[in-house]
Amino acid sequence: MVVPEPSDETLAARAAAGDDSAFETIVRRYQARVFRLASRLTSDADAPDVLQETFLQVYRHLPSFRGESQFGTWLYRIATNAALMHRRGAKRRAAESLEEYLPRFDADGVHAATPAELQVASQADELLDRQTLADRARDMIARLPDHYRDAFVLRDLEEMSTADVAQALGIEPAAVRQRVHRARLMVRGYLSDLLGVKP
Amino acid sequence: MTYTCSSGVELLMDYLEGVLPAETNAALEQHVARCERCTAFVASYQATPRILRDATATSLPADVAASLRAFLRTRTTAFKNS
Repeated sequence: MVVPEPSDETLAARAAAGDDSAFETIVRRYQARVFRLASRLTSDADAPDVLQETFLQVYRHLPSFRGESQFGTWLYRIATNAALMHRRGAKRRAAESLEEYLPRFDADGVHAATPAELQVASQADELLDRQTLADRARDMIARLPDHYRDAFVLRDLEEMSTADVAQALGIEPAAVRQRVHRARLMVRGYLSDLLGVKP
Repeated sequence: MTYTCSSGVELLMDYLEGVLPAETNAALEQHVARCERCTAFVASYQATPRILRDATATSLPADVAASLRAFLRTRTTAFKNS
């Protein structure tokens, strides 16, 4: 007979009551996802510190978890805050204009690029070497203005709902959509540019 | 209301999230259906998250996981004893 894995909420209640093995299970269940989130919001070099800070905060705040949101959402919010706090303390990059990656239109509001040029970004993973794409993708995310980067990472890469992203970042859902949109336009244009095509 | 490529692009995220009024939705769909450029643009706009997601998916290094365990062992013990 297969014993079902305990739910996050069950583990959280046990861990809050002092069950160390329940907390270890939570850590094992979420550590890879938190590390990935942290590396996208900060860097590979900073992600280990964010990972540690996240689970320390989770441990400390477990008794206050009331189940008002899903446990994973709650934990992700802590991880996001830890990453943003970590980044705030780091040296800031100079702001960079990424307008060159936005789509171009003629005077009548028609796309300046041809259909084939407009579609090329969707083939970036087929046309570029895997490692090159991975390096450039990380570089592009790091170059995004912070408020675009945060919304894009949480919504488009971590696939959180717009409502959860809004709550995590303390902004309105409409602002999340606007930021994700701008970031996605820039990233899409960057992929085109990597393939030698103007967005 | 009719849309150009430019004004349509600005509404794309709201369209995909289903928050536009039905009338705006229909007008936008009408434009894209007739516009080869917008059809191509929408395809690349929708593919972008997947491409970036796959390209930036990292796995947790074993040494980082081990450091996390050691860190938590020390800090949670200290927290319990405080």
